[in-house]
Amino acid sequence: MVQNKKLHFIVIDDSKLDCFIAEKIIKNTGKCESIRSFLQAKDALSFIASNPPDDTSHTIILVDIQMPVMNGFEFVEAFEKLPPEQIENYTIYVISSSINENDLQKVHNYKTVRQFLNKPLTSNNLAALLV
Amino acid sequence: MNTGEKFKVLYIDDEQNNLNGFKATFRFDYTIYIAANTTQAFEYLKAHPDIRVILCDQRMPDKTGVQFFEEMREIYPDPVRMLITGYTDIESVIDAVNRGHIFRYIKKPWTDNDVKSAIEEANKFFLTSSLLVSKNNELQSAYDELGKFAYSITHDVRGPLLSIIGAIDLANGITDVDELKELLNMMSEAVKKLDEYIKNTHEYYKLKRGLLQFAEINFSVLLSDIAALFRITSRNNNISFNSEVIQNEPFFSDEISIKMILNNLLSNAFNYQRKNAGEKFVDVHIEVKDNNAIIKVQDNGIGIHESHINNIFTLFYRATSEETGSGLGLYNVKDALNKLNGKIEVESKINEGSTFIVTIPGRTHGTK
Repeated sequence: MVQNKKLHFIVIDDSKLDCFIAEKIIKNTGKCESIRSFLQAKDALSFIASNPPDDTSHTIILVDIQMPVMNGFEFVEAFEKLPPEQIENYTIYVISSSINENDLQKVHNYKTVRQFLNKPLTSNNLAALLV
Repeated sequence: MNTGEKFKVLYIDDEQNNLNGFKATFRFDYTIYIAANTTQAFEYLKAHPDIRVILCDQRMPDKTGVQFFEEMREIYPDPVRMLITGYTDIESVIDAVNRGHIFRYIKKPWTDNDVKSAIEEANKFFLTSSLLVSKNNELQSAYDELGKFAYSITHDVRGPLLSIIGAIDLANGITDVDELKELLNMMSEAVKKLDEYIKNTHEYYKLKRGLLQFAEINFSVLLSDIAALFRITSRNNNISFNSEVIQNEPFFSDEISIKMILNNLLSNAFNYQRKNAGEKFVDVHIEVKDNNAIIKVQDNGIGIHESHINNIFTLFYRATSEETGSGLGLYNVKDALNKLNGKIEVESKINEGSTFIVTIPGRTHGTK
């Protein structure tokens, strides 16, 4: 379903370095149409809510778990309250340094989350998601 | 809980003569409350939940002593219960133990010495159990905090490490020098963050385990030591830094704690500035008056949102993703102030700045 559409990326992480790394790696794949990083999940959420995607594109969200103010899980919960036709155009990956079993288990509770990824993001494991 | 002080004893009996005799005999040793019925006894317990020992007659018109104990221990589990009775049928003894959970059984007529030694034993039992409860609470909170630390290590320690691993991996493919330098700068920030976390953890440990050492404190000297470090930040980031100390009397407290408190408040004030604000400032004002030190640290930085203000002293709580907080600093400040019997107040408005006011009572010289 992803293959023939243009790919957009949204990176949500309170670490500037992690955003920087993700941006570089995503750009290097050559498969991305646009990329946006957010240090605060709230900002990402309001961006998504106010920019409905068109049918020709698909957006991949990479979201960290442990962030102040709004954490990754809270972000996903708020995201899932958006209109269903909007949610369809997104795929969420949770990416974290957490090795806490509760965190890993919790990821399965969200239907919009495709998979849990371990930090750091590398070109190899990103490439594996895009095939 | 001081064993030397008079503690509270409640005696319930439907015979007024017994009550009067009891009070007359023991009023010099204990604070005595006497009740002619259980309703009155409940009123005393409500007004004085710190009653330690309760003696109750078994046979009373409204209910038995066992029934009373059974009811009262649901609401007030702490006081030690003793039953007094002239009737020694085995059934009521069994009931008293099984249903009333009594500590002692005193036979009528009682001798003053028997009652006194029973009350003393009951008090020892009370002190031991409440010590156990408070030790258990301490252990529980230490254990909870350990859990929080274990969780935070995956984020606050593992996080920066994984970022750096990722950055090194990425750097292998970069040839542009400026781009590499940008990456190196960010890596250095990540390392600093990790170091900050470790330093804060050390402070946390020192506070939890360390003993306070009271000595005379000269705030002018103390502040000028600390301020020297912040002068550099002040110059580099164009933040005006004003300090004032008014101290006309000696002040005794724990210097390490006070330095830690000042350091944390100042470093927050300097860190959480608005990037594009015009005239940035940090003011510190210390006044020692009537054996109280009042430390006021004020900034016109990003401020704290109302909804976060009650949580900023919580372990690992972070109210903003701007700047790199560890969630330990203000927790440590609060913990140190608890030890010093001090308090902290916060006034803050988002985008206008924050003011922290710390009040620390001085130790009277010579006391421990």
